[in-house]
Amino acid sequence: MLSEAEIDALLLSLRVAGVAVLFALPFAIPVALLLARARFPGKILIDGLVHLPLVLPPVVMGYLLLITLGTKAPLGAWLLDTFGIRFVFSWTGAALAAAIVTFPFQVRAIRLAIEAIDPGLSQAAETLGAGPLDRFVSLTLPLAMPGIVAGAITAFAAALGEFGAIITFVSNIPGETRTLPLAIYTAIQSPGGEVAAARLAALSIALALAGLALAELAARRVRGMQGR
Amino acid sequence: MPIIRRLIRQAVVLAFALCSLAPRPATAEPVTVFAAASLTDALQVIGDAYAGRGGDKVRFSFASTSTLARQIAAGAPAQVFCAANVAWMDDLERRGLLAAGSRVDVAGNTLVLVAPKRHDLAPATIGAGFDLAARLGPHGRLALGDPAHVPAGFYAAQALRKLGMWDSLARRLAPADNVRAALALVARGEAPYGIVYATDAAISDQVAVVATFPADSHDPITYPCARITDEAGDAPRAFLAFLTGPEAAAIFARFGFRTGRRE
Amino acid sequence: MLSVQVRHDFPGFALDAAFDIDRRGIVALFGPSGAGKSSIVNAVAGLMRPRQGRVRIDDATLLDTEAGIDVAARRRRVGYVFQDARLFPHLSVAGNLAYGAKRAPEPPSPAEHARIVDLLGIGHLTARRPATLSGGERQRVALGRALLSRPRLLLLDEPLAALDQQRKAEILPYLEQLRGTLPIVYVSHSVEEVTRLADEIVVLNAGRVAAQGSVFDITARLDLFPLTGRFEAGAVIEGRIASQAEADHLSEVALDAGRLWVPRLDAEVGATVRIRIRARDVMLALDRPDGISANNVLAGEVVDIREDEGAYLDVLVACGADRVIARITHRSLHRLQLRPGQAVHAVIKSVTVDRHSATVA
Repeated sequence: MLSEAEIDALLLSLRVAGVAVLFALPFAIPVALLLARARFPGKILIDGLVHLPLVLPPVVMGYLLLITLGTKAPLGAWLLDTFGIRFVFSWTGAALAAAIVTFPFQVRAIRLAIEAIDPGLSQAAETLGAGPLDRFVSLTLPLAMPGIVAGAITAFAAALGEFGAIITFVSNIPGETRTLPLAIYTAIQSPGGEVAAARLAALSIALALAGLALAELAARRVRGMQGR
Repeated sequence: MPIIRRLIRQAVVLAFALCSLAPRPATAEPVTVFAAASLTDALQVIGDAYAGRGGDKVRFSFASTSTLARQIAAGAPAQVFCAANVAWMDDLERRGLLAAGSRVDVAGNTLVLVAPKRHDLAPATIGAGFDLAARLGPHGRLALGDPAHVPAGFYAAQALRKLGMWDSLARRLAPADNVRAALALVARGEAPYGIVYATDAAISDQVAVVATFPADSHDPITYPCARITDEAGDAPRAFLAFLTGPEAAAIFARFGFRTGRRE
Repeated sequence: MLSVQVRHDFPGFALDAAFDIDRRGIVALFGPSGAGKSSIVNAVAGLMRPRQGRVRIDDATLLDTEAGIDVAARRRRVGYVFQDARLFPHLSVAGNLAYGAKRAPEPPSPAEHARIVDLLGIGHLTARRPATLSGGERQRVALGRALLSRPRLLLLDEPLAALDQQRKAEILPYLEQLRGTLPIVYVSHSVEEVTRLADEIVVLNAGRVAAQGSVFDITARLDLFPLTGRFEAGAVIEGRIASQAEADHLSEVALDAGRLWVPRLDAEVGATVRIRIRARDVMLALDRPDGISANNVLAGEVVDIREDEGAYLDVLVACGADRVIARITHRSLHRLQLRPGQAVHAVIKSVTVDRHSATVA
């Protein structure tokens, strides 16, 4: 039913988006916590930096990644020499680009969830003998879970559709970085590629709908766990 | 209320100010030219020369030939189209979008193999025994225009197939959206080798030509130009004439294009 | 046992209160809203750090700003029941109860756990989620949660304020049962709650301690009436059940100065009861009246008269060792020519029996 190239693109998209979200999550949570709770000079700067990918053209983001993490750039060269890590032309680079571009979605959702937690609960936990780390794990994290899930799913959906940053940073290598959006783009560019483009688009839509359905199920499950 | 009035007044003043920033229309509209990426530098110099001679200002849009062709087919307001290959120009001609009889070849090009410039880079000959796959190493990729839709990539694939090197390289490619992007990959050192036009290699001082592909390993690389039918007026016609004239030919030659008119 | 001294500046008023409690019973922090009661308990719990203050429980110093001592809230082992219960929504009742128990230095034994759950009647709720509980149930769970963390002091900040009368009535007995098991500080602005539960009262007004004393003494002080609430104010006295009149559904309570008949109490003869007599339910007569419906008449002597705005004033009458307050009009005062020392009879229309147990010393 699906050609090999189409399956490649589909699996690659899922892998890139999945890794992007999972990789960014452990960073998104502390950043969201910081923005929600801490007060310090320069907080607005951090806030702005986190949200930069939302307003920056994705191509610019891809370009920034290229000049910092390309194999000849200082950081990129160091990574290559020390760990053998190469982002350009690699699906890991695509995942990194997607992770950065969708980071703000996760941070926003988690931050909102944390801010919605009644501070009185934290006080109550304190009187019951819970320290800050304890309160984070036993109280904040579980109560913020709907936000975390929502953020992750939103980020996943956005990562599936990420184009500009990926194509600029890691190019358009079939089987390696040619995710669904890039595959559609390639098909459109090629003479006679309209049919292929349409098929890929249909596949993308099906994927998006499946993602939305899963998101709703997950959200319900989490709400149930919280007794709501 | 007075505040509202003041705000409105300020808004009106601002609007007028912004209007004055808009470029005043020239006595004639600029000529809109859609051209293949590989013609970028040469055409810009030609455009300046044209304006310097008292001609109209020329507004260029450079992109891959396929992108431009699709845009024109979808109604983009191009007046002149310079393609990097024949197939796309044929396509537009079939659709009846070209001004009859305006099509003409303005230049030609050669295909070269490039690598990031190093002091120890030795020139080579592409022929029997030239193992490009081995030269790429375990991780390296060959940068080139996407053979599926970029003319330079199409020619490159043709050449590689003719020379029997396609099978060993098919999975080692880094297909780029246009030939300049392929060049950039090599210039940045991301790809150890790339296949671009001789004219592109000449632009960048960060790449060096390793070898030239034999002319018989691919179809002749020509750049057809034509006027788009919708556009009336003399300005496009005049510019196209300039493109095929001696002054433009000299500029093309300076950039390394073959000027077919000579032959 | 509990020694508190707190000074702090809030926008609008300055808190400067100090009091020592020497008993294990229930101590009420009483006063109008905004008097600083919650701030004091927050300072005791460690949730708020006052500008200057000292808090000591037994021989442990929890706070001494001058000596630089400020034990973190989570280490103070002070249980806290909030006005809004603050149960953790993502945990079941069992999970909530276990939260404090798990973090106590020595967790409660299963026997103790069962005892507290039984005491509060929440055993059947353990699998439920806080969102599905009624207000009263939530407070009982909050109480259990605080108790299971084995605190050395229990603070309750207006725990019944958010409940309706029925729920309040449900919970008060549970609170009574806690008396004597550990020191309790109970914050409230409800005279009814305080006179029922407290053994000692600290009256706060505008950030300062206005008075401190046993519940009997404080409720008998006319000068505190503006603070203790005019409508519900009244004396509180302790008596013993002398007999039960089954046929009339009445119980006889023996006081120092006489007998009172109250609606039948489900307690044994000889049991101690606490009685509250609202000032507005007391009429004064120069002679012992005949032919009236009131069964309860106590003989006494006028001790103090307190003028007030409006038509009414309060008269403090000593009936033996007990005090009764009557609220009468100026006109009546002049008509009867009442003055301190005058012998009078207090005619009591209705009596509220607040509690069936003795005050804790």
